[in-house]
Amino acid sequence: MAAVQGGLVDTDEEKDIKTDPSSDACGNNNNAIDAKPVSTSPGTNAPSGNTKTPVATTEEQQTLLAVLQFLRKNNLSESVDILRREAGLPEDLLDLKGSDGSGSGPGGAGGGVGQEGGDSSSLLSRVAVSVSAAQAPTKVTSNDQPDVSVVLSAYNQQGDPALYDVYYSDLKKFIETVLDCHRAELSQVFYPLFVHMYLELVYNNHENQAKAFFGRFSGDQECYYEDDLRVLSSMTKKEHMRGNETLLDFRTSKFVLRISRDSYQLLKRHLQERQNNQIWNIIQEHLYIDIFDGMPRSKSQIDAMSGSLAGEAKRDANKSKVYYGLLKEPEIELPLDDEDEEAENEEGKPKKKKPKKDSLGSKSKKQDPNAPLQTRIPLPELKDSDKLDKIMYMKEATKKIRLGPETLPSICFYSFLNAYQGLTAVDFTDDSSLIAGGFADSTVRVWSVTPKRLRKVKSAADLNLIDKESDDVLERIMDEKTSSESKNLYGHSGPVYGISFSPDRNYLLSSSEDGTVRLWSLLTFTCLVGYKGHNYPVWDTQFSPHGYYFISGGHDRVARLWATDHYQPLRIFAGHLADVTCTRFHPNSNYVATGSSDRTIRLWDVLTGNCVRIFTGHKGPIHALAFSPNGKFLASGATDGRVLLWDIGHGIMIGELKGHTDTIYSLRFSRDGEILASGSMDYTVRLWDSMKAFDDLETDDFTATTGHIHLQDNSQELLLGMYTTKSSPVVHLHFTRRNLLLAAGSYNP
Amino acid sequence: MSAPKTIPKDAQVMMQILKDMGITEYEPRVINQMLEFTYRYVTTIIEDAKIYSTHAKKSTVDADDIKLAIQCRMDQSFTSPPPRDFLLEVARQKNQTPLPLIKPYTGPRLPPDRYCLTAPNYRLKSVQKKVTASAGRISVPRLSVGAVSSRPATPTIGSSSVPSVTAKVSTPVSLSAQRFTVQIPTAAQSHVPKTTAATPPVLMSSSLIGPKTLLMSSSSLSQSDSLKRKHEDDEDYDAL
Repeated sequence: MAAVQGGLVDTDEEKDIKTDPSSDACGNNNNAIDAKPVSTSPGTNAPSGNTKTPVATTEEQQTLLAVLQFLRKNNLSESVDILRREAGLPEDLLDLKGSDGSGSGPGGAGGGVGQEGGDSSSLLSRVAVSVSAAQAPTKVTSNDQPDVSVVLSAYNQQGDPALYDVYYSDLKKFIETVLDCHRAELSQVFYPLFVHMYLELVYNNHENQAKAFFGRFSGDQECYYEDDLRVLSSMTKKEHMRGNETLLDFRTSKFVLRISRDSYQLLKRHLQERQNNQIWNIIQEHLYIDIFDGMPRSKSQIDAMSGSLAGEAKRDANKSKVYYGLLKEPEIELPLDDEDEEAENEEGKPKKKKPKKDSLGSKSKKQDPNAPLQTRIPLPELKDSDKLDKIMYMKEATKKIRLGPETLPSICFYSFLNAYQGLTAVDFTDDSSLIAGGFADSTVRVWSVTPKRLRKVKSAADLNLIDKESDDVLERIMDEKTSSESKNLYGHSGPVYGISFSPDRNYLLSSSEDGTVRLWSLLTFTCLVGYKGHNYPVWDTQFSPHGYYFISGGHDRVARLWATDHYQPLRIFAGHLADVTCTRFHPNSNYVATGSSDRTIRLWDVLTGNCVRIFTGHKGPIHALAFSPNGKFLASGATDGRVLLWDIGHGIMIGELKGHTDTIYSLRFSRDGEILASGSMDYTVRLWDSMKAFDDLETDDFTATTGHIHLQDNSQELLLGMYTTKSSPVVHLHFTRRNLLLAAGSYNP
Repeated sequence: MSAPKTIPKDAQVMMQILKDMGITEYEPRVINQMLEFTYRYVTTIIEDAKIYSTHAKKSTVDADDIKLAIQCRMDQSFTSPPPRDFLLEVARQKNQTPLPLIKPYTGPRLPPDRYCLTAPNYRLKSVQKKVTASAGRISVPRLSVGAVSSRPATPTIGSSSVPSVTAKVSTPVSLSAQRFTVQIPTAAQSHVPKTTAATPPVLMSSSLIGPKTLLMSSSSLSQSDSLKRKHEDDEDYDAL
């Protein structure tokens, strides 16, 4: 193997190569399924390069031994002799205990995984296995360097368990003595460093040291990482980590920190002048430091943005163009009976809508630069019944109440009695005529909100007998004998966690813990299709506002885009580190927002499947998402009780609404976007003045370039009202077309 | 019978574990459930380990056997979702294909029949008796699968082949959502369309259809068997 000679190459190359293959998609530190430890970091600066000089410390000797083993394994006896001679090593070396790892390049599957750390061979096998498991193209091309450098770097984790404490407290002391303005930024380093050091100790089977390390320093971490730390505390052995995909991903993905250049220089200088290469290695390996030029950020600014499992978002993650505008409404011929003006233009000429229906009116024929093209993604064309629906919609919209700080909506709360805490999902149709509930006993029930009862369509035999040309054929196809207040839909084999009506009220989707998403017909009240793809609980599903497409997100950490007539998903949105708990379509159906247990929200493009925005800042799993009706803003609610407002176009946080004391499970903007309603487990519905929250934004000077946000602490002013229920957590909110607020929840005395 | 004053030690340990993991609010049943799970899990692992150790001809069960048992059980029951790189790779491939164009309205947009749950989940045995037009007789077709034999009107799990008729203003077109094509408007067949062959069990008890329909449906069923195969060929495509 040509790799041999590369072993004595200078350190710079090794380091470069190490930092290269660290992209998301093909991390060279792949754990694959085996979860082999991959705690590699770039080679140490000093020792490895100068192997010509006599070996001084035991560390260097260990390194040399590792290299020697490697050479020997590849049957390069001459090189072995030369190296041994020059390094002045004795003849007897450590025996090879583990099986071979890197036979001829990435090859064998080493078995030395479970061995006690401390001997180079197990390092070799362990590390080389991870090398072989990696499929990154960079590995293949630069095959001489990484093997040995990987050996050397893997070694670095060894032999230092006792010193981890020392390194960490050293860094702590340093950061405490730094200037105030830099301290907040550098303190960001603590948490990822702590977690990675702890995980390394666990991986390398230093259980006691790991526990001691944890006990000593876990209390220093920020309070919002408490849940993560608790999970970590239960993992003391390597085997514990194997089943936890989230932690494995955390290990392999880079934790992003945004630090100003000055602070970064300080840190770098400090770490490099001391012998703390350990920490420096970890930082280089596991942290991605996004350096920006400018003022260091204050603690509050940092706190606002941090909290997610993967740090913050890199600056270029939020830079791509997002078409957040709304699609142009199709022009529909208005019915003749309404106004006189119609009569003049009723000759099939599409008529411009009335200007007073401002939300729907296409005032200008010009394409909104921020709106996607009509044909960007294929959308189903409007059927006649859809057009009728739209006309109804416009008629209702004229009777809409304009809400504002002075005119708050009335709230009508629908309590599900006798649900025994089994109510897991609720949805209303857009015209608020039907309500559906998903329950923990795997049933789905549909009720009629209006006095009109639910009826099934007649059987085919009877349908043949009706008069198809009559005007009320839609009534005649219904079978009166089956009318009832509610209908039960049976089919799932696990609690139903997500429900969504289709915009044309013909279908109902439900997603369940059994891993399937079911499509039900609301005409026959039977199940039509079961979409299998997630093999794990599906936490949320939603129909697109234009029908035909729907999305689902589940425990397998991906969200999928489906079409009702394809049994396989059309798009897979992968990238989250933990379960996808909430999925929402953008009003123009071109983008999908997913909230996850890794405390980030991602915005995905339906056309390409790429992640176009990453929003961090929540301190708990996100359970509610809502797009504003104009498509520009996104509101999100999580278990930390805060509602965060995001500007999609610029990709930054623009507001924070504090007030709730428990998880927020529902968010909804009013029909014109003036009021944001939030419902939570603390039995309240709160109304916020979103007009004001977004207005302040327009005049602000965007600090989008640096991403610095300056949030005003105006939650109190923005809170317009708080309404408490007796003891019903608010699970769902819905504004009717006339801006009456409907809320739903189960009564839990 | 007085309730025990002290909680058994195992339950106390479980409560402590819950507290350590940060779970403070839980129903009392949870402890019992957790204990039951623990017992079941541990006994399963130990039994498996015993099997492995006897297979390796060892006299006692040692740590390796336990480790192996745990590992096998993990891969079988407690699977975890696929790793991230795999997901990213799959996603990359899936996202490369462009979104399919949508055909103009052709009825309810559903996947091919074999991926839907709209087919009948039973099969009717051919009726032995001669099917004459004796109106008074309700000859019940013998059902080979009694799953739907005498159910009330509500549709059963996942079955029921009542066609989903969409509320279209124009005349309903032929629905290809199920095996027998419903030719509702066409009067090609003199008798009742074939779909009723599939629906009698459901309709029987709802007393909507008279006996005549039942007789005709069973006769139509035998005729439609050959046609059934043809329809399968037509609609048996896996177009993505």
